[in-house]
Amino acid sequence: MRLVIARCSVDYSGRLDAHLPEATRLIMVKADGCVAIHADGGAYKPLNWMNAPNTLVDNGDQWVVTNPKQETLTITLHEVLSDVSEELGDDPGLQKDGVEAHLQELLAASPHAIEVGLTLVRREYPTAIGPIDLVCRDESDTVVAVEVKRRGEIDGVEQLTRYIERLKLDSSLGDIRGVFVAQVVKPQAKVLAESRGFRWVEVDYDELRGMKPDELRLF
Amino acid sequence: MQVEGDRLTVTGTDLELTIRLTVDVGGERDGAAVVPARLVGDIVKALPAGAVSVELHDDEMSISAGRSQFSVRPLSLDDYPAQSEPAADAVTLPAAMVADALRQVVRAASTDDARAVLTGVLLAADDDGLRMVATDSYRLAVRDLPGTSVMASGQSVLIPGRALNELQRVMGDVEELSVRLGDREATFEAGGTRLSTRLIEGEFPNYRNLLPSSYPNLLTVGKAAMLEAIRRVKILAQDSTPVRLTLGGDTVQLTAITQDVGNAAEEIDASYDGVEMTVAFNPDYLAAGIDAIDSDDVTLATMDPMKPAVLRGVGRDDYLYLLMPVRVP
Repeated sequence: MRLVIARCSVDYSGRLDAHLPEATRLIMVKADGCVAIHADGGAYKPLNWMNAPNTLVDNGDQWVVTNPKQETLTITLHEVLSDVSEELGDDPGLQKDGVEAHLQELLAASPHAIEVGLTLVRREYPTAIGPIDLVCRDESDTVVAVEVKRRGEIDGVEQLTRYIERLKLDSSLGDIRGVFVAQVVKPQAKVLAESRGFRWVEVDYDELRGMKPDELRLF
Repeated sequence: MQVEGDRLTVTGTDLELTIRLTVDVGGERDGAAVVPARLVGDIVKALPAGAVSVELHDDEMSISAGRSQFSVRPLSLDDYPAQSEPAADAVTLPAAMVADALRQVVRAASTDDARAVLTGVLLAADDDGLRMVATDSYRLAVRDLPGTSVMASGQSVLIPGRALNELQRVMGDVEELSVRLGDREATFEAGGTRLSTRLIEGEFPNYRNLLPSSYPNLLTVGKAAMLEAIRRVKILAQDSTPVRLTLGGDTVQLTAITQDVGNAAEEIDASYDGVEMTVAFNPDYLAAGIDAIDSDDVTLATMDPMKPAVLRGVGRDDYLYLLMPVRVP
């Protein structure tokens, strides 16, 4: 990871042209080739960035980053205030909430709890924007992308939408549909899921774990 | 908060439940503002008795009474969710009747969001009238309102118990309650208060096959005496231990045993027709069922210590409370 704090201006040329006038910013160059230019605010979102794979040509006071689509990000360094590099090594990844991870594991073992006839293709199915919790096939062999949450809220539906967009880029998969699974799906998430054509399913964590409560129940 | 003439309309919503209250005020200028509800509520409650003056300036709302003066920064009016008018036709019901039914039924609804359907109260219409049903899977309350019609026969809706708890609070002493049941939303109006709630989607459990037509064992006991006995005995029903009812003869004995703590026992007069047995219940659920009954005497009908028991009021067929026993060694 290389971190450069510099007074710089940035020009992006590609689908559109964009210019960041001269100001002091943080330039991040990640080991995988991603380049991001950050201001001192705005949480995680950079002002401009270029995802890997790309090539960075360092001309001293000017860096030119080019991706395979020939889009370019030209960073002109007027004054370098700090320039540090550090080897971060492999990242262990985001540790999910224990219940959520266990729920995913249990559903991978029993996909029929989501839908009758569902068979697992792969858990943590990889895509360029992150792994999909479960990818299954239904009785008619249609690919089913499953997003698993402990509490089903609209950001989970948005996440499933993005995953399905990625999967649809692979024409070999054929038709793809989405199922949003949670212990509780919030009303807004149900509406959004249905409007996107997804099914939503509420599952009982205790039942999946095979827990038989001591109490006698009516249902 | 919106002032039009001498009317103040206060609306609060969490997007699932919306409550709107209209009251008479001395309005000087029309206007509207969104303010932090709890903060402004706390301020007004803390003010001395008498008139409260509220003024809205560009970026602050001042609230004053007597010598007290507060100013609060309002939130963005444009960001407040748009409120729509209910589309469904209104049906007017006697408020006291609805309040009584809600008091009896809502207590059995679940508060556990993990089974969202059970957090609702089922309103189901048939040819005879309206039925309200709620269950948390340990108990089930059913109240019939014969001759009451709010929707077509065969239709049903599932209304969040949380909303109906709030409805009981806002109904006050009004005589009439207006009810509008839409596809996704239910709206109730009582006096100057309107409460709207989203409906719960999902299939309510089929409870009908849990209601046998007859039970071989029937205990009849005074409501007040039974409630008092449970209240005392449950002091020793700690750590989720149940209260045991020993049935047989002219009395019923209530006992509670908490290991390493102690035990309690009380005997009350009763009449019992059936085989001798001991059946145990969660004391809070048992007391809630007995308390809900509008009758001086209650009956407890059982099949055996592992099957659900039914509580009813003597001479009252419009309410029943089904209660699952607790397994005891």
